[in-house]
Amino acid sequence: MITFENVTMRYAKGDAPALSDVDVEIGRGDFVFVVGASGSGKSTMMRLIILEHHATQGRVLVAGQDLSRLPSRKVPSLRRQVGTVFQDFRLLSGKTVNQNIAYVLQVLGAKRHTIRQLVPETLELVGLEDKGKRLPHELSGGEQQRVAIARAMVNKPPILLADEPTGNLDPDTSQEIVAILDRINRTGTTVVMATHDTTIVNRFRKRVVQLRDGVIVRDQDEGEYDAVEEGLA
Amino acid sequence: MRVGFLLGEVWNGLRRNTSMVVAVVLVTMVSLFFLGSGLLAQRQVDTLKGYWYDKVQVSIFLCTPDATDVASCAGGGVTDAQRDQLRSDLDRLDGLVEEYWFESNEEAYERFREQFRNSPVLDSIPQEAIPESFRVQLADPTKYEVVASAFEGAPGVESVEDQREVVDKLFTFLNAVSLAAVGLAATMVACAVLLIGTTIRLTAWSRRRETNIMRLVGASAFTIHVPFLVETVLATLVGAALAIGLLWGMVEYGISGFLTDLLAGQTGMIGLIGTRDLWAIIPILLGGAVLLAVITSWLALRRHVRV
Repeated sequence: MITFENVTMRYAKGDAPALSDVDVEIGRGDFVFVVGASGSGKSTMMRLIILEHHATQGRVLVAGQDLSRLPSRKVPSLRRQVGTVFQDFRLLSGKTVNQNIAYVLQVLGAKRHTIRQLVPETLELVGLEDKGKRLPHELSGGEQQRVAIARAMVNKPPILLADEPTGNLDPDTSQEIVAILDRINRTGTTVVMATHDTTIVNRFRKRVVQLRDGVIVRDQDEGEYDAVEEGLA
Repeated sequence: MRVGFLLGEVWNGLRRNTSMVVAVVLVTMVSLFFLGSGLLAQRQVDTLKGYWYDKVQVSIFLCTPDATDVASCAGGGVTDAQRDQLRSDLDRLDGLVEEYWFESNEEAYERFREQFRNSPVLDSIPQEAIPESFRVQLADPTKYEVVASAFEGAPGVESVEDQREVVDKLFTFLNAVSLAAVGLAATMVACAVLLIGTTIRLTAWSRRRETNIMRLVGASAFTIHVPFLVETVLATLVGAALAIGLLWGMVEYGISGFLTDLLAGQTGMIGLIGTRDLWAIIPILLGGAVLLAVITSWLALRRHVRV
């Protein structure tokens, strides 16, 4: 589903590479934790997948498309296949939960009855069916992140990227969020989650791709993440 | 994107940015007002040319008894023999002269008194000082030189005057007005372009969260750009409508109303532009507004709203 072939990424000429010769294959329906300390290249991987940037060298393939050759008019259709969730939620503060989720569908030109059907359905997926009329600031951090997940999933993309989705949340809430991602993964969605939360990674026992200074140092099924080794604990 | 949703977005954008939108409306209004004035002045020149070139005459003024300082009038007032000679000369210029008539001293004085009836100068001018003249209507007004050179300096002729020269001065003046208006319009259009660019930049900034989400969920460039574009086009169209209103007021009350009355009373001059001329330039103004909005927005969006 997502393939990195010898990918090197430099943000500016002469800088140390943010990613160096990265080779990863993520299959359909996989759940992958991309782990590493800040600055290890996790977010860069995410940004390459949604084509915020082009790789300096190598190829990135997403859903069978070579991103280095993707004409810019096809970028939107690529992004429609990838839902994204961020640490800072990025909800529209003036819109209710329902409106935030409906916004995606409106932007993509969905019909009104489709919106009326999909919005509650997606809220149910994240367990917020009774919070549709709330504004984001009336919700807890965990609930806001669940709205963000609902928004990312409402048009049913085959891939979900989550960049440090639990970075602003307490441990219990973080577990809930990852549990939701796990549930989404079980319905067939490929989930890639960048994190440096060792507790989460070691508890959920998924595939772990570990980066250090832009280089892959571990790629292990049902892997673990050693915080002491990483200097995080 | 559905129309209702688009209009909602546009309405929100306009509401959040009222002061900038008003600025765009006003700048567009002023620039199109000047552009319209320039175009109307040009049409005024054309209208007047058509009207006057048919009517202008060459006047051959004959010597008055006092005009002895002119060589051809050295003998004092024009004699009957000289007058007959001129008449037969005019008859011979058949191809050039469409018609001519003689204005006697009495007629000329009568017309002079009529024209200056309110002026204190009237009483100080004796009837002899008003020259007799031949009024010549040319078959082709541009052949003035031929006629002028035939009579200039002929015995009994004090001077030859082409009314076209007078009218041409007016045209030169109107052309200058027209040019100045268009020049001001160009300056204001430059202002409008910069202002629209800045407005879009600010709007893009205030809406960066929405835009960012649109990008992430895969909205097309068109979808992201179209609310900005519609907002700008609406603002410039409102500006154009106001400019047209101002121009209409100027034509209807300023020219058709005030000027026509004023000039008709004084000189019998007609041939001024009217609201019909305004209708004729409205498509240019509206088209110009839309073009201004679309091109400027497109350039600004390419720079400030990444997709």
